[in-house]
Amino acid sequence: MSYDERALIEYVTQQRWYGAKSRGVAYAQLLDSAMLRTQEPRLELALVEVRYETGSHDVYQLLVSSREDEPGLCGLAEDPSLARELVSAMRSGLAVQSADGVVEFGHLEGFAGLERELGAARVVATEQSNTSIAFDEVILKLFRRLEAGINPELELLRFLTERSFPNVAALGGWYAYAGGPLSTTLGILQECVPNARDGWELALDELAADPDGFLPRLRRLGEVTGELHTTLGSEPNDPVFAPEVPSEESLGLLTATVDEEIANVFLSLPDDDERIEPIAGRGEEVREQLRLLTHAGTSGKIIRIHGDYHLGQTLWSDGHWTIIDFEGEPARSLAERRRKRSPLRDVAGMLRSFAYASIAAGPLRGADVPDDWESRAREQFLDAYLATVDQSLLPSGPAGIERMLTVFELEKAVYELRYELDNRPDWVGIPVAAIRRLIEPAPAAS
Amino acid sequence: MSEQWFERDPLWFKRAVFYEIHIRGFYDGNADGSGDFRGLIEKLDYLQWLGVDCVWLLPMYPSPLRDGGYDISDFFAIHPDYGTVEDFREFVDQAHQRGIRVIADLVMNHTSSDHPWFQESRSDPNGPKGDWYVWSDTDEAYKDARIIFLDSEASNWTFDPVRGQYYWHRFFHHQPDLNYENPEVQEAMLDVLRFWLDLGIDGFRLDAVPYLYEQEGTNCENLPRTHEYIKRARAEVDARYPDRVLLAEANQWPADVVQYFGNGDGDECHMAFHFPVMPRMFMSVRREDATPIYEILDSTPPIPGNCQWGLFLRNHDELTLEMVTDDERDYMYAEYAKDPRMKINLGIRRRLAPLLDNGRDEIELLHAILFSLPGSPVLYYGDEIMMGDNVYLGDRDGVRTPMQWTGDRNAGFSRADWAQLYLQPLMDPVYGFQAVNVEAQLRTPTSFLRWLHLFIALRKEHPVFGLGSYEPLRPENPRIFAHIRRFEEDIVLCVHNLANSAQAVELDLRAFNGMVPEEMLGRTRFPAIGELPYLLTLAPRGFFWFRLRQGDE
Repeated sequence: MSYDERALIEYVTQQRWYGAKSRGVAYAQLLDSAMLRTQEPRLELALVEVRYETGSHDVYQLLVSSREDEPGLCGLAEDPSLARELVSAMRSGLAVQSADGVVEFGHLEGFAGLERELGAARVVATEQSNTSIAFDEVILKLFRRLEAGINPELELLRFLTERSFPNVAALGGWYAYAGGPLSTTLGILQECVPNARDGWELALDELAADPDGFLPRLRRLGEVTGELHTTLGSEPNDPVFAPEVPSEESLGLLTATVDEEIANVFLSLPDDDERIEPIAGRGEEVREQLRLLTHAGTSGKIIRIHGDYHLGQTLWSDGHWTIIDFEGEPARSLAERRRKRSPLRDVAGMLRSFAYASIAAGPLRGADVPDDWESRAREQFLDAYLATVDQSLLPSGPAGIERMLTVFELEKAVYELRYELDNRPDWVGIPVAAIRRLIEPAPAAS
Repeated sequence: MSEQWFERDPLWFKRAVFYEIHIRGFYDGNADGSGDFRGLIEKLDYLQWLGVDCVWLLPMYPSPLRDGGYDISDFFAIHPDYGTVEDFREFVDQAHQRGIRVIADLVMNHTSSDHPWFQESRSDPNGPKGDWYVWSDTDEAYKDARIIFLDSEASNWTFDPVRGQYYWHRFFHHQPDLNYENPEVQEAMLDVLRFWLDLGIDGFRLDAVPYLYEQEGTNCENLPRTHEYIKRARAEVDARYPDRVLLAEANQWPADVVQYFGNGDGDECHMAFHFPVMPRMFMSVRREDATPIYEILDSTPPIPGNCQWGLFLRNHDELTLEMVTDDERDYMYAEYAKDPRMKINLGIRRRLAPLLDNGRDEIELLHAILFSLPGSPVLYYGDEIMMGDNVYLGDRDGVRTPMQWTGDRNAGFSRADWAQLYLQPLMDPVYGFQAVNVEAQLRTPTSFLRWLHLFIALRKEHPVFGLGSYEPLRPENPRIFAHIRRFEEDIVLCVHNLANSAQAVELDLRAFNGMVPEEMLGRTRFPAIGELPYLLTLAPRGFFWFRLRQGDE
């Protein structure tokens, strides 16, 4: 199939998963393509490079169908049933040659979801970088913006599934491209979690209905998180997963990284926003606190972690937590997302999520959240986590753990501040409160 | 199968920041007093943080180490002090996983006299290796070839009592030149390239590349047949190994060096060092005059679009003064080598910080100029923390002391006994490891290391610095080095004050009428450009980089 460049640019830039909406496109070109289905309607996989005016570029995965009688590009958004072809290719372990490489499909032996008939396909989520399509019992996730190398989601899910870790949706299959332009993971197939509720939505609902009654479930989530980290750190002989003692300068590197993020965000704070007022002009105080926190101490071991851990990455179903979305923070490079980190970084992400829920439940659900709910939620989660997780992964002593958590929470809060300023100004108060808490002593308990 | 961690990108080296590492001096992973590949792996997170795109390794092969490893005795192995071929492979893979590429030094011109090839050649003149080196009954041939290591060698010929003949060497007498007239030698060296490329290496810095062939009546440098052979090596690489790079070390004038890019075809080396611009940057700072930099760039011929200059301030060798006039050399010695111990051959054996009297402003200014020029910057390990040198050590060892990681024992470089270290880290009050180390600078927001980290990130955000055109502005004030870089829609204005006093400068920016300069480090907007000369004032040794933006952006 040949593509008209203008039509291609138009098609790609209009998709919901297209991530660079603010940048000018200089040109787009087809890097490679493979015909996955030759009968009508045909299905073709295309790798498209979009070049921006500043000289940078992105590579996107396109799945397009064409009929003789119907010109124009038809993709998954228009016809999700196209994705059936991908699942059956995984089932049969297909390999399709393209002009400059090969598209390979595979599955994990014993995955029940592949043995049954597929249900009706529906697009369930389109995010910045991926599309998910559900077929009753399995769910297919396509990575749209591609980076060279193995996707951490495939890596981590395979590792956890092979060890029968109970709190993930088991990996069933995947497909990948290896060729001249790059080698990359294109998508994964997972089991669907039935009757699942999004952990973030659930938390908001429960904060309105029964905030105290929700705490035992967060306690359970703490255990699950501890078990996740213990499992991820359980393979000393696999270099990709083996826990490592961080190098001597790792604390210095972390400090430098967080410090630069603080300096950067304070450099561009708006002058006239009263929500910012409690921290405006106090960047130096925050940096000073960071220096005190990282002055000394051990940071425990580093392992592969979830990387973007918060309530929205959990599902609650029939009394059971499932952890999803192991891609890592979408704004970071693949090399960065694959880095081993302290497991406390995930913990900090979840704790920040409790702060978000406790504040957001008011405006979003009309909830009247008790003042001490966040601290009790933290306590429940942390107690259970610390009692469960492999102790050798943590810094030694409660003070060391507390200090590292504070550093990671600060890092998160700074990231949130930048994100909210750019995307959701109404939410800016949440990270501002976290940063303020760090530089102002807590008010005496009443 | 090892994973492929990079997109296809044949021109990656044009936007890359290189970082040169002396393996022995970087980090000791097995506590034997000498740096090694296991140690290097442990420090990859640091290099990833720093923002380095490509590591250049000094020679890593077995060697008697009479010339810092440039005297190779086995091309297919790793020096036992540094580890094994398996360690090397692991290092390359770990680097790739972090988005860092790896190139290594390779000496094609000569071997160590310990190399079995030479031993066989000298002992069996009629045997299979008898003709692999350049032998002669007299020391009369090739009289027009200069002697490079003036301080230690009297002739390019040395008599070998075993064979009873003279052998040819352009460097030390223990480094006999290979005989490229022999097709077996040509093929053997291509095998060496293939061996390391198959292990995943991203390219080579080809050491001493102008000297492969000899010819009577010439200076035996840059001969056409030398170029032919490099073209052949390049074709071999291109055919089987995508996205690799050949970087020529040819310490020659730009007009000669550009020959190593191929005659306009870009079919020899991808990169070559621009040697002459380096001493002129130092000269400009000392003279407080931008003229030497403008002049050398004016006399630099254009290069093919698929090629790139390698630019550096300092490296593992002496600050070489071969590519300057005698007067300029006298000036450089007078200004930068006040102690005769600091001189070696035709150069100055000091690190960047001591050369500039540890002047932070001067060091930042020189990095700004380096990063603004058309080419890829090559940093030398230790210079990012303003490490010092030890002029009391022999040869060039003074600039090859252990990397200073912490203020702890052995500078955090090794857990071996102090006496066991290959060289002791610096201990003096100004540059010693208790004052100058990575750990302390990471924690100090105002440190040079932290500044350089941001500066590398800034350069990498803008492909214009690697890919763009260079348009000198030449304002009337000679103390200002100002120029425009332009790539597609990205236009950058770089203005550097070489003077040790505040300066005002008027720039003719009429071509950019209506655009708004935005300072790149602090993102501050400056007044829009109009018809009149654009006035800027700069602090002593200060500089500004601006992005020129459309007024309505």
